Amino acid sequence: MQYLDTGKYHVLFTLLLVFFILFNIRRAKGKKDMFVRRIPGLNAIDDAIGRATEMGRPVLMVPGIGELNAISVQALNIFAQVTKTAAQFGTPIRLCCANAAVFAVAQETIRDVYQAQGQIERYDVDSVRFISERQFAFAAGVSGMIHREQCAATFFLGEFFAESLIFAETANAVGAIQIAGSTQTVQTPFFIAACDYVLIGDEFYAASAFLTREPVLVGSLIGQDWAKFVVVFMIFCGFITNSMERHQVTDMKRVDNDATADVEAFSEMVPVEPWANGKPVLKRRADTWLFRQFNPFITKEQVTVDRPLEPEPEPTTATGGGS
Amino acid sequence: MKFLTQLAQLPPEYNPFWAKEPGNDALLWIFLTIGVGIVGMLLLTRVPTRARRPIVWTFTFLSGAFYVIYYLWPMPIDRDAREIPQGFVEQGGFFMKDALPRVADIANVLTFLLLCLGIFSLTKIHSARVVKKQKDWFFSVVLLVAMVVMVIVGYWDYILKEFNDPNALLTKAENWGTVNYAYDLLFDGLIQQMDAAMFSMIAFFILSAAFRAFRIRSVEATVMMASAILLMISLMGAVDYQWSELIKGWTGDDPAHMLNNLNLSQISGWVKNYLQIPSIRALEFGVGLGALAMGLRIWLGLERGGVSV
Amino acid sequence: MSTPEKSFWDKAQTLDRRVLYAVLIVLTATSLFFKTEIPVNPDDSSKDLYVSLMTIDPSKTVLIESDWTNSTRGESAGHFEALMRILMFRKVKFVVYSIADAQAPQVARDALMRIQEERKGQGLKEYEPWVDYLDIGYFPNAEGHLQAVGNNIRTAWGGRKERDDTGKERGIFESPVLSNVRVVGDAGLVVVVSASATIDIAVERLYGKVPLAFMVTGVMGPNALPYYQAGQIVGIGVGLKGVYDVEYMMKYGVNYRPDGATKAKVLYKEDSVVVAPVTEGTTMDRGARYFLPLHVALTLMILAIIFGNVAMFASRRKKKEAK
Repeated sequence: MQYLDTGKYHVLFTLLLVFFILFNIRRAKGKKDMFVRRIPGLNAIDDAIGRATEMGRPVLMVPGIGELNAISVQALNIFAQVTKTAAQFGTPIRLCCANAAVFAVAQETIRDVYQAQGQIERYDVDSVRFISERQFAFAAGVSGMIHREQCAATFFLGEFFAESLIFAETANAVGAIQIAGSTQTVQTPFFIAACDYVLIGDEFYAASAFLTREPVLVGSLIGQDWAKFVVVFMIFCGFITNSMERHQVTDMKRVDNDATADVEAFSEMVPVEPWANGKPVLKRRADTWLFRQFNPFITKEQVTVDRPLEPEPEPTTATGGGS
Repeated sequence: MKFLTQLAQLPPEYNPFWAKEPGNDALLWIFLTIGVGIVGMLLLTRVPTRARRPIVWTFTFLSGAFYVIYYLWPMPIDRDAREIPQGFVEQGGFFMKDALPRVADIANVLTFLLLCLGIFSLTKIHSARVVKKQKDWFFSVVLLVAMVVMVIVGYWDYILKEFNDPNALLTKAENWGTVNYAYDLLFDGLIQQMDAAMFSMIAFFILSAAFRAFRIRSVEATVMMASAILLMISLMGAVDYQWSELIKGWTGDDPAHMLNNLNLSQISGWVKNYLQIPSIRALEFGVGLGALAMGLRIWLGLERGGVSV
Repeated sequence: MSTPEKSFWDKAQTLDRRVLYAVLIVLTATSLFFKTEIPVNPDDSSKDLYVSLMTIDPSKTVLIESDWTNSTRGESAGHFEALMRILMFRKVKFVVYSIADAQAPQVARDALMRIQEERKGQGLKEYEPWVDYLDIGYFPNAEGHLQAVGNNIRTAWGGRKERDDTGKERGIFESPVLSNVRVVGDAGLVVVVSASATIDIAVERLYGKVPLAFMVTGVMGPNALPYYQAGQIVGIGVGLKGVYDVEYMMKYGVNYRPDGATKAKVLYKEDSVVVAPVTEGTTMDRGARYFLPLHVALTLMILAIIFGNVAMFASRRKKKEAK
């Protein structure tokens, strides 16, 4: 927020979504066997690992090339489940990271999985590897590994960019079963063209709820669904109000003033001729009530705040962004 | 003690720790920070496994709390560096605003430390492979040599340009020495070109993937193939233009004629605007909500999936 | 049991990918030798981008976020060079910075130097560092940094120093390029030349504070178009077609009728807007060189898809007949 934030709705909306998620997590606690619809890509995990075990080849996992954030943590959550199965079968795993922070967390996570399964002697420290932070050096490194080790199953889940197709086609060339999903929606078509199973959009986030059926995760998923209903409702309201307003003949038009000029407000409504050249003047997007809700008129007075100054001027601090 | 005194001075006078210039005691602060960091790390290695989760969660919560408060707290849009905030809300806003770049710096420093960890792992794995003469050990030699040479040449070049070149002569190639040429060869001559080569492989992969995937096997696959071909044709400006000229011939260049809808750019524009963009937007809503829920679970310590299974 | 011998169509269906690759490389490499001018209908988004760039107030500084590296130079270098040519023609001061990749500043610098050399060869005025433009390099932590820029650009960039026209190191805000920029909104436009997801961050952190325009790769196009459709960015050039569109408009203008012409080559949605072409230096360059190879590659892909389907149906028919 700012003193003059032009959109208070986003804070309200975010808090509403947070409430939905937390409320449903609380509601779901203690409940068991909650329903989550089938996600084919996740059903295939056991088959993929079973195949790798039979062939005596490793399972490869890549949590994307993004930083350590909600996406990579979610990818590691799914990989923890994959590793759990692989540890039971004694299937070798490879987890390749392109980010050092993700690598550190991945190492801990995978070791914990082996420990929890009582298979710590099967844990190979070098199975989790940091390859490179450079996108295409990472792509080359992982592709090389897929070729050399002839991986039988590959899991590409997380934040993928241009390297998605390089991985998917390379894995396809060695005949691996591929399960993939990218939060970068523009990369999803590449995965769909080249992989066996693809998690689309937020199926990626639903994966751990589907795999573990933990009440907290399923509750959170229900909260997300409630939030989606709100989004759909708001889109519908926007569609109705905009459709009605944009077909109205208007006699007022919004103009943005030059901020440096001597004006009272940065934007204002000015009168216009409703029928120009015999044609009706319809409201533009900027003239609508809905637009004003998100882009209110700001007056000069609102942005002028008089504060006392420090007596001795200090030199400005050199900060930010590194140099 | 001085740190605490400085913090204690905050209200009512606005004198934030964040906005201070490094003075004469800068070195003292640096050594103190390094010392506290080392002691902290040693203590953390002694922590029993059971206690790890609450420690991790505490740090996660504190770091997340900063950004949550930053998001919700009213902030000044613009202010002069010498302005003194009035009242508690303004003081908080000023404090957070000044703190933000510092918090970003802390994140950068942590990233660097973790990068060291990654490089250590990389070196360890590949050195072991070379020593044990494992399969493909020669590639590991290439990797290690490339890494060391790039680091040395990169820093050497940086030091020459940044500290030993007051008249900025090295911005022109004719003044370069061996190291600058070596850096140019490694950076512009090798890394950049290899990056471009890897990326251009996608063109080949797109071709083979499209050849394999776009088959009329099901309704979905047919729709996907048809829309792909339509968009590809519309990207070919020559075809699009000639087709539109043909339509102009039929319509007599009347912009209101119904046949104008057959323009390739019109059809592909319709597919993009009314099918592709709304679908992407819907997916983005889902992904955004998923990320929010995930972030919330991590921040509040409700996430139990990965870190301890 | 002996396996039945594969027919021609069976083999055609699983054509060795290396054959496809060889055909692609020969055809596209050959077509690269021809620089052609192909008449096009520029996309609406490209027209908006060109109009924004050509109508920007020349007294205002433009901030260029250069987030591309040599890997995407086929598209991004064309975007960046066209942008440089337009800004230099219009004598607009600019700042180049990067947040996506540490290699990006060097690549942008090289492209900028190419344009400078070209202008020198054409007897045009060269842009002077410090006086006409600033190249302030890379800032790590993309999300945090753009948030800091939106928050207070003077603090976020305060630590950066550049050599002035006398060779002395000074803070960048003392330069004539940035002296008039107090908050990010004082900039005339932020142009993001990107091959990565930094476009999302730019909208998240800067929308509403300063006008935004994008020049992105073809793959990132679908990711960026929703922002254009929602009015969050003023214009966008997508992929190689976007480069060619801009170059085409640089040559022919928008709604522009040269003396004696009855009709403009490029029409705009608003008849009243007339934008002249760029009348100095090079206009058609990289886009014109790569547009024909794009046609060739796309034609090949369409033919490959058709061939694959014909093979599939022929093979099925053969099998049916054999039964």
